[in-house]
Amino acid sequence: VPAPGSIAELRAALAQQRYLADEGLTTVLFLALRVRRPLLVEGEPGVGKTELARALAAAIGSPLLRLQCYEGIDIHHALYDWDYPRQLLHLRSGGADQLYSERFLIRRPLLEALASPGSVLLIDELDRSDDEFEAFLLEFLADFQVTVPEVGLVRAEEPPTVVITSNRTRELHDALRRRCLYHWIEHPGLEREMEIVRVRLPELPPQLLEQVCAFVHELRWLDLYRVPGVGETLDWAQSLSALGSDQVTADLAERTLGSLLKGREDLEQVRREGLAELIARAARHTSPGSGEEAA
Amino acid sequence: VRADASPRAAAVALGRALRGAGLPVAIDRELLFLEALAEVDLRRPDHVYWAARAAFLTAPHQIAAFEEVFARFWAGLSLDPEPSSPVEHGESDPRMPGPQRGGESLPQFRPSARSGSLLDGEPTRAAREILAPTGEEGERGPRRGVIAAYSAEEVETRPEPLAFESEEVVAVRRLAEELRRRVPLRRSRRPRSSKRPGRLDVRRTLRAAMRTDGEAIRPAFVSPSERPRKLLFVCDVSGSMERYSRVLLASLGAAVRSGARAEAFVFATRLTRLTPELREGEVGAALERARAAVADWSGGTRIGLALAELNRIWGPRGLARGAIAFIVSDGWDRGDPELLAREVERLRLQCRRLVWLNPRPGDLAGQPLAIGLRAALPCVDDYIPGHDARAVAGLARLVGGLDSGRPTRGSGHFARIESPREARPNAAAPAGFVGR
Repeated sequence: VPAPGSIAELRAALAQQRYLADEGLTTVLFLALRVRRPLLVEGEPGVGKTELARALAAAIGSPLLRLQCYEGIDIHHALYDWDYPRQLLHLRSGGADQLYSERFLIRRPLLEALASPGSVLLIDELDRSDDEFEAFLLEFLADFQVTVPEVGLVRAEEPPTVVITSNRTRELHDALRRRCLYHWIEHPGLEREMEIVRVRLPELPPQLLEQVCAFVHELRWLDLYRVPGVGETLDWAQSLSALGSDQVTADLAERTLGSLLKGREDLEQVRREGLAELIARAARHTSPGSGEEAA
Repeated sequence: VRADASPRAAAVALGRALRGAGLPVAIDRELLFLEALAEVDLRRPDHVYWAARAAFLTAPHQIAAFEEVFARFWAGLSLDPEPSSPVEHGESDPRMPGPQRGGESLPQFRPSARSGSLLDGEPTRAAREILAPTGEEGERGPRRGVIAAYSAEEVETRPEPLAFESEEVVAVRRLAEELRRRVPLRRSRRPRSSKRPGRLDVRRTLRAAMRTDGEAIRPAFVSPSERPRKLLFVCDVSGSMERYSRVLLASLGAAVRSGARAEAFVFATRLTRLTPELREGEVGAALERARAAVADWSGGTRIGLALAELNRIWGPRGLARGAIAFIVSDGWDRGDPELLAREVERLRLQCRRLVWLNPRPGDLAGQPLAIGLRAALPCVDDYIPGHDARAVAGLARLVGGLDSGRPTRGSGHFARIESPREARPNAAAPAGFVGR
């Protein structure tokens, strides 16, 4: 797959992966590919930050390497490790030489990303890692090279495209932010979300699709603990269509609400608002038949 | 400077203007923006907008300020700060990250004093200066200094106003020291190498074995290690609570900078996160900013709403998970007690242990307005009243002994610290306390 030469091409390639990126996100992704800077993506949970890297990798036909961060992550989980049992077997079978060679090296995602040209490296939820790891990463992202003491310098022929996500539980270090392009993802608007659901679930009846999106859109105005994201919208739409429905009714919504809201308080609040009332309010967003958003 | 005149000049001009609006823009961002400009269609405002946004921004709160500057930039308007421009409000203060304006958080009054003054300065005087123009509101009594807060009859029922003596300030400072020394530990996920037999450390053992022809002569072991537990402070800064919280947070900042892990929030009517400022020792300036964003800084407390915000925004991100949470408030709540109880319970379910720290003496009978506290008490694990040195010592003792996890309901660690005021015969212990 040739690298996309323009923003429009990239958008088309992403759409082929069934990922609908808006103008802003596409522009920023295009820049990340061209300017070769890591892209730092932040946004509410459920807006599709992780999915973005997956779609980007598929769109440009590159392997995706994912590093999930957590508290206490270190270079043996992120960069490389030695395959000690194999080394030992090698030693016992008489081969004393070359114990620390590439053949016994276990590549973790960061090293793998250096070795595979043009890959997409997703560093997920970086805010969960420790400060020390962030400092190490800064070094890695600056030069795209690391030194493995026993092997020597490993350098990327072609640096990977890096996508970093953060949930903002902790402020990332300024030095790291400075190295990155930055993008903040919002929940999609109603029209955009309908488009996403249409692309993801093409078999969904158009009327149901509209009603589902309008209902979720209405929920996002409520004061919920956990606002449903696009993922939940898709889940709910699938649940409804699995029940053979082509309409959102108060009864069906009541029975399937669990795929949309994941907490007792939120469920209770939505019930207090009244499902029928919410559906009626949502209906105002959809003009009958056409599928266009009413103002 | 128009975007199509000369990209280089345009990038520099935009960078300067953003700097003027308070964004942390250094020259490397301008270079990055130039690189980005080379990749997009310069005639398309959306492309240039997104390229600039990606290059110059580092946090979502900067978006509003950025949009304003960018609109002027693209329209070809002058980017120099004008007399009417927001710079006048003090956004160009380099110590303040991000813009201080926009939306509903427009400052009501501008502190005339330097906003950075902390403990050693005159924070209380600054408070008076800001509050002066508000005058009297409704039935509230005259406001004076840090004590200004609640209704007149409230002051009557309490013979002595909540004042802080220098020894108490010292005591709170000591608390930070204690917190640092005696912070509870938790099991770490990463084991530590150890000499004593325990779990085998395969990596080190095999590594050693390679030196002895593949024979594992000296096995290596690991043992569980421990890390400091996270502390979560939610501090009331309304009315008379402000000074106490200010001192506490400053001390906490000292503890954080020397290695303790802590999150800090302050609230009066709305919640503000102070964790980054805590680390940088900027608590004073941050409190001033929080004050600017809240219209009635000392007009009563909505603890329930603040906790709801904490639970809704920060709870799902796991901030309270495994933490020891402290609510620092006198519990004089003007909100719905039921909401408060619900949110306290919710917070309790997320954290390891929930402690309510009340700087007023523990005698609830003399505090008719402490409805909130009464509602919340059944939901907390520990309650520590009193604001003197002994209470601080009690808190430190409590914190040091928290490793055992959550007490069973009712048998909680309701440390009741006797103070001279409470020793008076008419100060009966209210129901629900476990005397110690």
